[in-house]
Amino acid sequence: MTNMRSKAHPADLPFDRRTLMLGTTAGVTMVATGGLTMLSTSPALASPQINKPAPDFTAVDSNGKTQTLSALRGKIVALEWTNHDCPYVRKHYNAGNMQALQRQAADAGVVWLTVISSPAGEQGHVSPEKANELTETRKAAPTAVLIDPKGQVGRAYDARTTPQMFLINAEGVLVYMGGIDSIASTRAEDLQKATPYFRDALAAVTKGEPVTNAVTRPYGCTVKYTTS
Amino acid sequence: MSGVFERKRWRRAAFSASTFLALCSAAPAAIAFESTAVTSPRATVTLISDAAAVAPGQTFRVGLRQKLAPHWHTYWKNSGDAGSPPEIRLSVPEGATAGEIIWPGPDRFAAGPAMNYGYETEIVFPITVTVPRDATPGQPFNVSADADWLVCERECIPESGSFRLDIPVAAAPTPASDDVRAAFAIADARRPVPSPWSARLVSEGDAFALTVVGAGLTEAAVKSAYFYPASWGITDHAAPQQPSITDGTLTLALSKGQTFNPEAKADGLLALTDGGGATRWFEINPSVHAAPAGNAPTASLIESLPLWQTALFAFLGGLILNLMPCVFPVLAIKATAIAKLSGGELREVRRAGTYYTLGVLVAFTVLAAALLVVRAGGTAVGWGFQFQSPLFVAGMSWLLLAIGLNLSGVFEIGLGVTGTGYSLTQKSGHAGSFFTGLLAVVLATPCTAPFMGVAIGTALAAPVVICLLIFLAMGLGLAAPYALLSVFPALARALPRPGPWMLRLRQAMAFPMYASAAWLVWVLSQQVGDFGVLVALSGALLVALAAWIYGMAQHGTGRGLIPRTLAAAAIVGTFGLLLQLDGAPTSAASTQAGVASANYEPFTSARLASLRKEGKPVFVNMTAAWCITCLVNERTTLSTDAVQQAFRAAGITYLKGDWTNRNPEIGAYLRSFNRDGLPFYAYYPAGGRDPVVLPPVLTESIVVGELERAGRSALASPQSIK
Repeated sequence: MTNMRSKAHPADLPFDRRTLMLGTTAGVTMVATGGLTMLSTSPALASPQINKPAPDFTAVDSNGKTQTLSALRGKIVALEWTNHDCPYVRKHYNAGNMQALQRQAADAGVVWLTVISSPAGEQGHVSPEKANELTETRKAAPTAVLIDPKGQVGRAYDARTTPQMFLINAEGVLVYMGGIDSIASTRAEDLQKATPYFRDALAAVTKGEPVTNAVTRPYGCTVKYTTS
Repeated sequence: MSGVFERKRWRRAAFSASTFLALCSAAPAAIAFESTAVTSPRATVTLISDAAAVAPGQTFRVGLRQKLAPHWHTYWKNSGDAGSPPEIRLSVPEGATAGEIIWPGPDRFAAGPAMNYGYETEIVFPITVTVPRDATPGQPFNVSADADWLVCERECIPESGSFRLDIPVAAAPTPASDDVRAAFAIADARRPVPSPWSARLVSEGDAFALTVVGAGLTEAAVKSAYFYPASWGITDHAAPQQPSITDGTLTLALSKGQTFNPEAKADGLLALTDGGGATRWFEINPSVHAAPAGNAPTASLIESLPLWQTALFAFLGGLILNLMPCVFPVLAIKATAIAKLSGGELREVRRAGTYYTLGVLVAFTVLAAALLVVRAGGTAVGWGFQFQSPLFVAGMSWLLLAIGLNLSGVFEIGLGVTGTGYSLTQKSGHAGSFFTGLLAVVLATPCTAPFMGVAIGTALAAPVVICLLIFLAMGLGLAAPYALLSVFPALARALPRPGPWMLRLRQAMAFPMYASAAWLVWVLSQQVGDFGVLVALSGALLVALAAWIYGMAQHGTGRGLIPRTLAAAAIVGTFGLLLQLDGAPTSAASTQAGVASANYEPFTSARLASLRKEGKPVFVNMTAAWCITCLVNERTTLSTDAVQQAFRAAGITYLKGDWTNRNPEIGAYLRSFNRDGLPFYAYYPAGGRDPVVLPPVLTESIVVGELERAGRSALASPQSIK
């Protein structure tokens, strides 16, 4: 029994430093839980999810034609956010990289929609005529250029930079979102060194293969959304 | 004023030096410590060196300096959603080495749904360069750089430039001009320091939180906090980071970035802004914890605690309950009965043992659940279950005293319960066994209550999982002997006989309780000084008085109204005392601030005002005996020779205010900074200029650095006025 009695002492041990630790950590837990609860109950920001149905949209293109994503079901759709005066966009157009991707897509039967979400008065905003002129002078080959001055399509996709790329498969599922390649710079020399994320994704999707890097960092200028 | 002249003199010297160099060499015009500028309407960019001449073997810094037009910004290494960081390709002479950019802590700039990290106004990107030991004095040490940077307002413009510095090698190094050193000071003020705190990221579903634990993280000291992840994809940069701070714990509720990986490290900078608006950047490398569904934070916390120990102690506590006078005789009788059984009956007994155990566990679970409900209610009304709270500590010490008195036999708890309980255990069958177990907990109440008190005290402070675990382990401990006996009836012979030893054991158990109570009184003395001790001991006296009167009433010697009223009055008195303790920090413990010293003067508003009128620099330290962080800061930083020397060198008058007692003057002073707590440090530079508020956790380098920085901006300020 002496054994038992000597073990009696540890029974009150939880009252020394250990208890203080418990107290502190309990506080931590409560705060952390509280924080998580707060966030999980607040409405999630609208942002597209990879391997989930891509948000549907309807927008008018530079030729006055209405383009609806759900109407393009059965075709692979590429989305490109652009602002022709953004130095990152210029890097890809001046070097012919973007046009090459657009041709590669067109050859594979992919619908390529270039989206301009700049409102009037902001950099990158263009009239439909100017949009067509840009396509012509830059020898670009998108299927259509969507004029999105209210930023509705842009916000539905949580597009934050120009350029920023999305790829939607024939079933309407988002299979790629992110940048064109891996080097965030405005220098054309970097094009050769960069890993061409979007080109790889495009090749994989047209072959019906899974995309290796489905989410990458989009880099570029901010999309100049309207504040009104 | 001398600053202006000095600056002009430097500029003139710089001009003539560059003219001279341009004339004498074919190299582009360059001066030793600031290159020719690449200028645009947005940015003026130069390469600078903090040394005007370097010595062989010396380590010095060069940096890309960017002076930006209003509203234009450049970027941190993680530029956020848009933009990209500057790139600097540095060339140094053979044998010299150059390090990486030491990235200054960034600010953040929102642009629609995007969030970018970078710098406005002026920034320097420093790189450390080491001169080879065999460099020859008299020879030039040429440093050149090709740089690309993006400068953005709403729109972004890529810029680039080539820069060159021809720094002479000399026997002894020469510092650069004040202007250039002031530019480096901008980067130094933002230079991230290793965090003294532990940090972890806990993820649950889409949400996750950064928790940082450590001294100095108080609501008073941290007005805002932000986590800058070192790379893209860890957090959603644009999502708000909701901070919450309890004493010593900062939690930022974050949103996951698109490529957040619960397996990967997620290092970055924690920016903390104090009430004075000063921001500091701390390098953190939080451990990442993915949550199993449900209770993420607890799951991760368990790892950091010796949980098995907690459970073991609770189990032992439960085991000891069996030896209490009101449990042991029952156990002994049952054991004797079991020992006589055999064969089929024995099997039945085994099953009964199982149900008995279940009953005990259910009873303990119900108790734990009830406690958790009470606790949740308490949290809702804002109880703080903290030993840091003097109220809680005092209350706990009295509770332990009362428990000890109970164990000593001064009074009993719920004498009536035991009698009513016995009959219910007489039911037969498994239900009977189950209820026997259930009721064993109730039956044992008179003896277990003291131990329950301890368990409840612990559980009040523990996370849900640990609380449940404590109770279940205790239940298992209580059920263990009977369960063991039902499996191994032979064990009954090994049991000691009931006897007076049980009473002595119970009385002996009182002493750990008294010891714990005494320890808590000591804690209180550390927290609130000798007034706290007075309150705690007075309360203890009243608790003892109440227990004695109550005990007398139980023993039939004073069952009347008068003793009961007296006991009640004594209890009310203790609560009254508790209120005295509420926010009554006291003077006597203010020994630290009270130690007479030649190197500081007591703080008064009048003294501060007159010193400032004279244009003298002043360092104000608000401290208190109960502010542990304050005392640590004083011991490790403010009292050190290095800091005291820096004070003397700068002619600073050191004013120390003691807030151990309530002091309306200090209270008003703190409120003028929007503060309601300590620690608080402010430096008033010479010339009666605006004070600089220092961070709550000080180091020698922070204090000395702040004095130097304030000194430099004193020189630079006429420039900004122009």
